[in-house]
Formats: sequence, structure tokens, C-alpha cells
Amino acid sequence: MLGKLTWSAIPFDQPIPLVAGGVVIVALLAVLIWVVVKGHLPYLWREWITSVDHKRIGVMYVLLASVMFLRGGSDAILMRIQQAIAYQSQGYLPPEHYNQIFSAHGTIMIFFVAMPFVIGLMNLVVPLQLGVRDVAFPTLNSVGFWLTATGALLVNLSLVIGEFARTGWLAFPPLSGLVYSPGVGVDYYAWSLQISGVGTLVAGINLVTTVLKLRTRGMNYLRMPMFCWTTLASSLLMVAAFPILTATLAMLLLDRYLGFHFFTNEAGGNVMIFMNLIWAWGHPEVYILVLPAFGIFSEVVSTFSGKPLFGYRSMVLATMAICVISFMVWLHHFFTMGAGPDVNAIFGIASMIIAIPTGVKIYNWLFTMYGGRIRFTTPMLWSVGFMVTFIIGGLTGVLVAVPPADFILHNSMFLVAHFHNVIIGGVLFGAFAGFTYWFPKAFGFRLDERWGKAAFWCTFIGFYVTFIPLYAAGMLGMTRRMQHYDVAVWRPWMIVAVIGMAILTMAVVCQVVQLVVSIRNRESLRDRTGDPWDGRSLEWATSSPPPVFNFAISPDVRGEDAYWEMKAKARQQQFAHAQPEYQDIEMPRNSPTGFVCAFFASIMGFALIWHIWWMVILGLIGAWATFVVFAWRDHDEYVIPAADVARIDRANIEERRNLVSLAGSV
Amino acid sequence: MSELSDHSDTSFAPGDEGEHDVGARVLGYVIGLALALLLTATSFFVAGTTLVWQPSIPVALIVLAIAQMGVHLVFFLHITTGPDNTNNVLALAFGLFIVFLVVGGSVWIMSHLNQNMPPMDQIMRMQ
Ligand code: HEM
Ligand SMILES: [Cu+2]
Repeated sequence: MLGKLTWSAIPFDQPIPLVAGGVVIVALLAVLIWVVVKGHLPYLWREWITSVDHKRIGVMYVLLASVMFLRGGSDAILMRIQQAIAYQSQGYLPPEHYNQIFSAHGTIMIFFVAMPFVIGLMNLVVPLQLGVRDVAFPTLNSVGFWLTATGALLVNLSLVIGEFARTGWLAFPPLSGLVYSPGVGVDYYAWSLQISGVGTLVAGINLVTTVLKLRTRGMNYLRMPMFCWTTLASSLLMVAAFPILTATLAMLLLDRYLGFHFFTNEAGGNVMIFMNLIWAWGHPEVYILVLPAFGIFSEVVSTFSGKPLFGYRSMVLATMAICVISFMVWLHHFFTMGAGPDVNAIFGIASMIIAIPTGVKIYNWLFTMYGGRIRFTTPMLWSVGFMVTFIIGGLTGVLVAVPPADFILHNSMFLVAHFHNVIIGGVLFGAFAGFTYWFPKAFGFRLDERWGKAAFWCTFIGFYVTFIPLYAAGMLGMTRRMQHYDVAVWRPWMIVAVIGMAILTMAVVCQVVQLVVSIRNRESLRDRTGDPWDGRSLEWATSSPPPVFNFAISPDVRGEDAYWEMKAKARQQQFAHAQPEYQDIEMPRNSPTGFVCAFFASIMGFALIWHIWWMVILGLIGAWATFVVFAWRDHDEYVIPAADVARIDRANIEERRNLVSLAGSV
Repeated sequence: MSELSDHSDTSFAPGDEGEHDVGARVLGYVIGLALALLLTATSFFVAGTTLVWQPSIPVALIVLAIAQMGVHLVFFLHITTGPDNTNNVLALAFGLFIVFLVVGGSVWIMSHLNQNMPPMDQIMRMQ
């Protein structure tokens, strides 16, 4: 009846996951009860859960990423403490538990923190920057988000029901095959990635279509803000790369569930093809993450330097070059697999070539700052911190891309330091820069600068104190993923690293405090104009938060830095612009399709993991029926009358005018 | 939102062209279906036949498969070379390019994997 699921699936004998899981469940229940008792449920359902508004969905993506960041961060703390004390001893985490923690940490940080964070920011900002009212497929957008949430839910469920994979975040066979991993851990891993992978693919398709097809009047390709370009490149990579991941995991699942032998050497399969395919997705994936971050830095640097982005066209070219070259380097993740000198040399050189467009970008940012009137706000600090940190990470990347060097450094702590260097210094700094930069746009008030800066400095210093020691330990021969060790020279570095982890923890605390303090002081931090930073692109041309329809009148773009030029013109004309003619606006109706689909997908995923076949069928039929109902709906749009549009827009224009005349800077 | 996109570019989504009359469109689909069925039947026939030189069968199947893709793209997905189709053609080109890179690269990599291994008879002698 319940497949493999029995009471023994709940780890009563392991206090750490049980207590952690218990605390989370209690907290969730408390929030849920509070929501219901306070009567917020209808509001949440109407305004958020069923919302197809790209801004709301973007916010929910970022919220999901933030929550999962706390989970992934806790894993990191556990691992750093283990390695600090497990010198000539077993530490406090038994091996099978330690292995689950590093696997869950990697999986969560990449798929459920970095991905939703950048997808969320793209969702929130790109339609605004393009001057349009929504993404190309609003309901699909909601489906994509909720499927991602399903994946996250399943990963967290493994904490209390069953176990998670012990295979590392990429689950290489034969270790992830049935022989070595008979439990449900790998199944949790694979099904949550399969389900959230559909969500990512959908998000990619949606964003590509939005950028290609929905631009406002005059917004031709070479007038798009840089962030739209990097979104395009990143989403193209999502569309091209995620199917490879899906197919690879599907083969692994066929091996595990139906006795196929894609990856069993003894039965005519080949484990190496898994490595090959997963990295054919894996390397593009790192650029899926970092390209949007590059876009964020481009926006932030040019805004806070008060200058147009230096070398805009070279930046576009570099972005698209990275997009293509990132598909030509994947072998650098398995130089040591033995493909021989020819293959290794070619892929090694290709990997070094990708550093060139990245270098072009760094110089462009530097020249954008050069001669500008720089304001060192929190987003700008993240950007400058990124430039310094990412250069180091890029350099060590080029180093491990040299095959002979990689034969020594592969799978060492040096490698661990490299990719944290680029992912924290690149993606995470970018996400935080974007978060503080666009927060006022999403919520209508700025974040507290003091706590924001404290968070930056703690992250910045904490990062170096944690990860420079890992470079050192790697060069001393320490391999990755060690539950305990007996080499005395590694010990001091592990102790320094755990101190760094403490500083990073303080950084997270600062972020939380920043949020709380800002919400408390929201009245004094209020952004009434919609343009708190003196911005340059169209998202600042509407109010904060923007109305559902984003723009009362579709903007007409005449050049790069569209909003900057509008402002300049408005100043010249003393704001004496003609009364615009407002029209009715059609907006897509909210739809529970995404949520219901994901509900059934969760049931199906859980049932697949535990081999509860009747429940699999139930989930499948449910998800299918939801889709059919959606496809047959009649009314998918509603109309906002011109009068309402006019009222909302005039109020915003009035605010802007007041503020400018108050400041007397006309 | 279509009134916005009209200004930015004029390309249509596949199947969204709208300007043909229904009869012409149905005819297009029927021709496509007939061609697709013909190609499928030929593939099945070729796979089992003894009439042709055996090693040519895989090649024939590959050719038929590629022709099948072409039929689908032209008759069902309405990829044309017209100016209203730039986005679609570019997307197709990008997709083909990536497929070429990944498949070609994988074949190349996998065929070199045993480079650092001693030849099989040496391994046997060592045992
Ligand atoms: C100049 C650019 C870069 C080069 C040349 C480069 C090179 C490499 C090489 C050769 C490896 C494999 C080393 C080994 O396994 O022995 C590697 C691993 C890795 N890199 Fe980079 N990298 C670059 C940028 C990035 C960026 C921008 C990211 C992410 C945003 C990134 C993320 C990773 C990750 C996650 C791994 C390790 C995956 C694993 O084994 O679990 N890299 N890099
Ligand atoms: Cu790589």
C-alpha cells in the first residue's frame, strides 16, 4: 500500500536531523496557523499564490531562495565545524550523515538558492526594463515557480522522511546506482531535480520569448539594458542545457527503477557517459548563474557612477560569446578521466579562452567607474567587492583549466575554493547587489544602508577568511569531502576556515536584521518617486511598487539609457508635458494552475521516491487534469478601465513633481 | 499585449501567421502528414529489407530521419525563410549548433577515453 515507506524511514535514532526537522515543522505550522487565524489566507491566495504577475512571482522566487539559503548555510556550518574538529577523530557527524550534508548543501545552493534567486530577479526586472506589462506566458511563469518550490519541498522532506543522497551534488554512478545506493536518497535527489528542472526550463523559455518578442516601442536590441542581454544569454543556456540534465537523470532513474544499464560497465553500459553528459549541462549551468549577475553589476555600476555603461556593444558581444563558448569547455571537469592529450589540450585552451570575454567585462566596469561620480551605496559595494573577488576566482579557474595542473588539483580543496570563489564572489554578491538595488522597486522603500554595509563587509571578509585557507589546504594535498583526516598540517587551515564561517554567519544575521530594521523604518525609507537611485533604465520610470500593469502608457524609447534621456528631456521642458491619453488595459487573470499543478507534482514525486504506484498515478492524473482545465478556460483576461489607469498614473506623476520641486533641483 | 510587440518586430510565432485561409492551411497539413507517413513507412521497410547492401541501412535510416525532421519543421512548425521568420530560424540555428557541439563533442570525447590505457592484450598479459 505504501511502497517502501515504513516507520523506520523516520530517523528516530538521529537527533540532529530530527530536531532540525521538528523545529522547521513547528515553525511552518506556527506561520500557517498565524496566517489562518489572522485571516490572511484569502489575501495570500488571491494576491500571491495564484498571482501571475511577474513582479509577485519574482518576489516569491527570491523568498524561496532566501529561505533555502538559510538551510544550505546551516549545512555549511555543520561541515566546517566537523572538519575543524575531526582531526584524528570522528568528529561529531558520522560518515553517512556527513555525506548527506555535503550532497544536500551543493544541491540546495545551486538549484534552490542560486537559480531561484537569479530567475526571481530576472522575472521582477526584465519586463520593467523592456517597458512591457508582463512576461510572454504569465501562467506558465507561475507554473515554473511552483514546480521549483516542489523540488525544494522534496529535498527538505528528505530530512525527516528517509534520507538524502550521499553521492555529492552530481550523483555520479556507479556510486549513485542501486548497488551502492540502495536507499531512497538518490531518488529524492533525482526526482526533485527532475521536477524543478521542468520549472527552470519553463522559466527559460518564458524569458527568452519575453526578450525577443515583447519590447516596447523603440526598444530595439541595441537599446536594451545590459541586464536584459545577460538574461537573454542565460535563458538561452537554460533552454539548451537543462534538457541534457533531464535526459541524464532520466537515464539514471531508468537504471535505478527499471534495471536498465546505461551506466553499468559490466552490463555493456558506460559510467563515463554520465560524467560527460552531466558536465555538458554543468558547465553551461555555471554561466546560467553568473551571466545574470554580470548584468546586475552592469546596471549597478553605471547607475552609481552616474555614467552610461562603458563599451556597451563590446559588453553585448562578450555576453553572447560567453553564451556560446560555455558550451565548448565541459571536459575541463574531467580532464583526469583519461581522454588523452589531444582532447584535454583542446578543451583546456577553450576554457582559457572563455576568460577573455570575462576580462573584457571587468575592464568595461572599471572604465565605467573611471571619471564617474561614484556613490558607494550597498549595491555598489557588492559590485566592487565582486570585481576583486571574481578576478581571483577566475585566475584559479584558468589555473585548474591547465590539464597538468588539474591532475594535481582535481577534487582537492583547491577546487572547492575555486568554485566558491566564483559562485560566492560572482553569483551571490550579484544576487545581493540586485536585491538591495531593486528592493525599493519591489516594495516601495529602501533597505537600511548601515546594516546593508555591515552585511557586505562581514560577507566580504568572511569569504576570504573561510576560503583562502581552503586554497592552502588544497595545495597541501587535502582532498574534498573528507569526514575526518590524520594530517597535522591541514588542521590549522580548517580552524581558520571555521572562524571565517562564523564571520559569514554574522553576515547572514546582518542581512536579517537589515530586513527587519528596514521594515520597521519603512516610512522614513519610503521611495515616493519610483526612482530612488537616480536610475537610467525604464524600471525607474514607474512608481515603486509598480501598478499591476507596470506602465500606464507604453514608453517610447529613443536611445540607450531610456529613462535617463526621458528625465533630461523632462527637466528641459519643466515637466510641461501634454496630458497623455489613457486607454483601457487588458491584464491576464490570476490562475491557481501553477499551484495545483505543483501540488499534484509533489504527490507524484513523493510517491515515485517511495514506490507508491497508485499515488503516482493519482498525482499524474491530477497534474494532467489541471493542465486540461487550464487549456480549456474561456476568460483569461480582465480589463482595467482607462479612468483607473489615469488616476493611478496621475498620483505618481504628482509625487515625482512635488519631490523634484521640493529638492529645487529642476 | 500584442499591440506592444507589433512595434518592435514583425515576426510571428510558428503557426500564428493567420493570413492564409483555412483551406490552404489544411492542405499544408495534409501534405505534411502524407510525407511524414511515407518517410516512416520507408524507414520501417528499409530496416527489415534484404534487398539493399546491408551496411547502407543505418545510413539510409539517418537520412530518412533527417528528412523527417525537415518535413516537421516546414509543414507543422512552419519554419520558412521569409523575413517574418528570422527569430524562428535563428532559434533553430542555435539549437542545431548546440546539438552539434554536444553530440559531436561527446562522441569525440568518448572515443578517446581509453587513450591512457594500455592495449587490451597487455592488460591480459599482466594478469
Ligand atoms: C575563467 C573562468 C573559469 C574557468 C577557466 C574555470 C575552470 C574550472 C575548471 C577547470 C574546473 C574543474 C576543476 C577540477 O574539477 O579539477 C572548475 C570547476 C568548477 N567551476 Fe570553474 N571555471 C571558471 C569560472 C567559473 C564560474 C564563473 C563558475 C560559477 C559561477 C564556476 C563554477 C565551478 C564549479 C561549481 C566547479 C566545480 C564543480 C564540481 O566539481 O563539483 N567556474 N572550473
Ligand atoms: Cu566548468
